[in-house]
Amino acid sequence: MSIALSRNRMLAFSLPALIAILPFLGACFYIFRFSISGDKASIDGYSIKAYLDLMTPFFGRSVWVTIKLAFIATIAAMLMAVPLAFLLTSLKSPLARRILTVTILLPLILNLLVQAYGWILLLGPSGVLNSALRGMGIIERPIFLLFNETGVLLGLIQTSLPLAVFPIVSSVRGLSQEHLEAASSLGASQWRIFFDVTVPLLRPGIVGAASIVFAFNASAFAIPLLLGGRRVQMLGVAIRDMISPMFNWSGAAAAGMILISLTLLILVFSSWLVRVTSERTRG
Amino acid sequence: MSLKISRRSVLTAGAAISATLAAPSILRAASHGKLAGKEIRILTWSDNTGLAVLENIAKPFEELTGARVIADRTGSTSEMVAKLRAAGDRPQYDIITLAGVGAVELAGDGLLAKPDLNKLPNLEDVDPRFRTGADGFGIGYLLWTGGLIYNTKTFKEPPKSYAEMWDAAYKNRLFLPPATWTDALDTIFATDIFLGGDGTNSEAAFAKLAELRDSVLTFGENPAQLSELFRSDALDIGGVYAPAFYAKELADPANSNMGATYDVDEGFFADLMYTIMPKSKPGDDDAVHAFLDFTLDAKVQGVMAEAVLNGPVNQKAVMSEAAKASPFIIKPEQMGEKAIIHDKAFIAEVRETWIQKYTTTLS
Amino acid sequence: MRVGLLPNEGGGTYRFTMLFLATIGILISSLPVIVVTIMSFSASDNTGFPPTEFSLRWYADVIALFVNEDTSSAQSVVDSTLTSILVAVIVMVISTLVCIPLAYALVRGQRKIREGMELLFTLPLVFPLVILGIAFLLIAESLRVEIGIWRIVIPHLALVLPFVLRNCIGAMNGISIELEEAAISLGASPLRAIWDVVIPLMRAGILAGLIFALIISFNEFTITFFMYTIDVSTLPIWMYSRTVSSLDPSTLALSVFIIVADIVLIMLVDKLIAGRANLF
Repeated sequence: MSIALSRNRMLAFSLPALIAILPFLGACFYIFRFSISGDKASIDGYSIKAYLDLMTPFFGRSVWVTIKLAFIATIAAMLMAVPLAFLLTSLKSPLARRILTVTILLPLILNLLVQAYGWILLLGPSGVLNSALRGMGIIERPIFLLFNETGVLLGLIQTSLPLAVFPIVSSVRGLSQEHLEAASSLGASQWRIFFDVTVPLLRPGIVGAASIVFAFNASAFAIPLLLGGRRVQMLGVAIRDMISPMFNWSGAAAAGMILISLTLLILVFSSWLVRVTSERTRG
Repeated sequence: MSLKISRRSVLTAGAAISATLAAPSILRAASHGKLAGKEIRILTWSDNTGLAVLENIAKPFEELTGARVIADRTGSTSEMVAKLRAAGDRPQYDIITLAGVGAVELAGDGLLAKPDLNKLPNLEDVDPRFRTGADGFGIGYLLWTGGLIYNTKTFKEPPKSYAEMWDAAYKNRLFLPPATWTDALDTIFATDIFLGGDGTNSEAAFAKLAELRDSVLTFGENPAQLSELFRSDALDIGGVYAPAFYAKELADPANSNMGATYDVDEGFFADLMYTIMPKSKPGDDDAVHAFLDFTLDAKVQGVMAEAVLNGPVNQKAVMSEAAKASPFIIKPEQMGEKAIIHDKAFIAEVRETWIQKYTTTLS
Repeated sequence: MRVGLLPNEGGGTYRFTMLFLATIGILISSLPVIVVTIMSFSASDNTGFPPTEFSLRWYADVIALFVNEDTSSAQSVVDSTLTSILVAVIVMVISTLVCIPLAYALVRGQRKIREGMELLFTLPLVFPLVILGIAFLLIAESLRVEIGIWRIVIPHLALVLPFVLRNCIGAMNGISIELEEAAISLGASPLRAIWDVVIPLMRAGILAGLIFALIISFNEFTITFFMYTIDVSTLPIWMYSRTVSSLDPSTLALSVFIIVADIVLIMLVDKLIAGRANLF
C-alpha cells in the first residue's frame, strides 16, 4: 500500500497556495512587462533599451558588490545559525529557550533606522568600541566599521540571521536519533559526528536556509542605505534611486529582472551542486 | 465584508475616544466655523518640516475654520511624486507641499490643477518673485535654503568657503548630500563656482569632487543620523545641506556641536517650494483654496519660518525678534546676489546624468 | 536518551567553537536592541551613551501619545496599530492555511514538482521590495476598485509565503510516511490520517511559520509604504514619519514598546496554537 498522491489531490492541496501567490505573480509579470516597455514611466510599446542602458561598468560593479556581499553574509550567517540552532534545541529550560528565540527574532522586529542608530552608538567613529580602544591606547585614529562594506555586512548578517536559524531548527528536530546514537556509541569524536553525520543529514535544511538568506540579502536596500552610508552601491539602492527620484521605472524593472535572474541562477546552481555532491558522497 | 464593518467600528471607537479627549475649543470651532464639516487631505514631508506643517498650519486652520485637515506625512518630494504619478487621475490628496522640482515634474505630467489666484488674497503680500511657479500650477510656499553645516568644536569661526571640505584635516569627518537630493546638485554647482566657473561646468566640478571619494564618512541620507554623528563628534563639516532639519540642534550647539552658515564666498542655495493641487482632487474647492491661502498668511509664514528655518515668502511675515535676528532664516529681502536659485529648465535637463555621475564619482 | 548536538560538558574544541559562534550570533542580534533599550531609560534630552541618569519620562511621553490621540493626522497611532494587528493576523491565518496542504503535497509528491514549486515560492524573497511595491501600487491603482485593508494584506501574503512554506516543509520532512501508512492500515481515511497524525507532528513547524508571518507582516515597511492610503495605514509607516523627524529618546522608548507588542503577539500565538508542546 502506498500514499502516493493522486494528481487531483495534489492539485487540490496546492491550489489555495497558488491562489494566494497569484497577485504576486501578476506583479512579477507586470515588472517584466515594464522592463521591456518603450517608455520610462509607463507601459507603452516594446523596447529592450532599458536593458541596454544598464550595460555600464557602474552597473556591473554594482552587481558584483551585491553578489559578493550577499554571498559573504550568507556564509557568515550560516556559520552562526547552525550553532544557534543546536543551542536552541539543546537548551532544557523552557524560559531560556523562549529568551533565545525572541533574541534571535529581534532584528526582524526593531525598526531598521533605530537599529542602525544602535550600531552607530556602539561602532560609530566615536562609539563605545572606538572610545574604549582609544582609551586603552590601542588605537589613535578611530577604526571605521560603519558606512562601508563592513557595516553593510554586519547589517545583512544581523537581519538575515533569524531567517537562517529557524529552518535549521526544524531540520534538527527532524534528525534521526539512530544515526547520532550509532556514531556516538562507536566513539567518534564530536567533530567527526558533526561533519560525517550531522551536516550531511541537515544538508537539505541548511541549503534551504542558505538560499533564503542569500536571496534576502541580494535584494537588500535599507541596510546599504543606513549602515553603508550610501557608499556601498548594492543593486537594491540603485533600483530605489531609479524608482524615485529618477522615475526610470522601466530601468528599475530591468535591473530588478537582472537581479532576480542572477539570484535564481545561483540558487538553482547551488541546489544542483549540493545534489551532485551529496549523491557522490552517498556513493 | 465583516472585516470592513469591524474596521469601521474600530474607527468610530477611536474617533469617539478622541472626541471625548479633544479640547472643547476645537469642538466649538468644528460646529460653528465657516468650513465646518469639510475635509481636506494634505500630503507633506515625513521629516520635522512636515511635523511643523501639522502643528503650525493644519491645526490653527482647523480651529479657525472648523474644517478637518487630515495630514499624511510621507517620505521625500520624489516619493510624493512617485505616489501621485501612480495614482494618476484618482489622487487621494487635495493639497501637496513639495520642492520645486517635484511641482515642475507633476505639472509636466498634466496631473495638476491651476489654483484660482483670486481666491488667494494673501498672495498680494508675497514677494512677486515667489508667487507662482511650475507654469502657474504651483503657489510659492517657503524658501528651502542650503549652506554649510559644521562642527562648532572644530570651527571657532564659521567656514567661509565650500573649499574647506577639501581640507585634509577633515578626512573621514566629512559628509555630503546623497545623490538623489537636490542638495547634491547644489554641491556640484558650489564646487564649480569655487573653481571659478558659474556652476554649470560639471566636468570640472566632478573632477574636483572625485578627490573627496575617500574623505567622505557618509552621505546624509538620514538627517537624524547626521545629527547623532555631530553630537558624538564624528563629523566636522558637510554640505550643501539644509539647516532646516536642525532647528532644535542649531539652537543648542553646546549639546549638538552643530553650526550652519549661509555666509559662504560661493553663495548659498535657495529653492522655492510650492503648494500644489492635483486635478480631480477629492475635497471641496473652496476649502482647499482657503487652506492654500492660509499657508501664505503673514502669521503662519512667520511661525513656520521660525519652526523649520525656511525663508518666508510673505514679505509681511510676522516673526519674533529672535527669528528676525536668526542667521539661519533667510528673509526675502536677503535674497540678494549671494542666493543661487537654479534655472529649473537647466536642472531638469541635467538632473538624471548628474545624479548618476555624482554616484559613480563618489562611491 | 537523546544525543545532544551540543554536549553539556566535554567536547573540547567542538563545544567551544559552537558556543563561541552562537554567542557572536546572539550579540549581533541583540546588541543594538540592548543599547536602544538602555537609552530609552535615559534621563537626559540628548542621546549620549551610556546615559548618566535614568528615568521613565520617555515612557510617559509614549503613553501620552496613545492617550491624547490626535485624529487630525492620518498617522493616528492607535488606528495604525489596530490596522497592523488586523493585517498581520489575517496574513498569518491565510498563509498558514494555504501552506500546510501545499507542504504536504510537495513532500509526498514528485521531487521535480517539489523543486519547481519551492523555487516559485522563493520568488517573493528574491524581488527587491521597492520594485514590488511600485508594481503592486500601479496594479492596485489601475484596477480602480476600493479593496480597503486587502491593499496591504495581498502583498504581505506574498512576502510571508516563502517563510511559512519553508517552515511547514521543514516540519513535514521529518515525518516518516510509515506513521501515516500505519494509521491508514488501522482503518483511517488518508485525509483523516493527515489530520490526526501528520498535522500534530508538524505543529512546531506550523507555529514557527505562523510567528514568522505575524512578525514580518506586523513590521513590514517597504511595500506598505507604497500601498498605504490615508485611511489604511500601519504602525511601521507611522513609526517611519516619527524616526525621520527625530531620533530622540522617546522614539527609542516607542521602539521598545513595539518590541514588547511583538513579543506579546508571539506569546499569544504560542499559547493559542501550541498549548503545551510549544515552539519555544
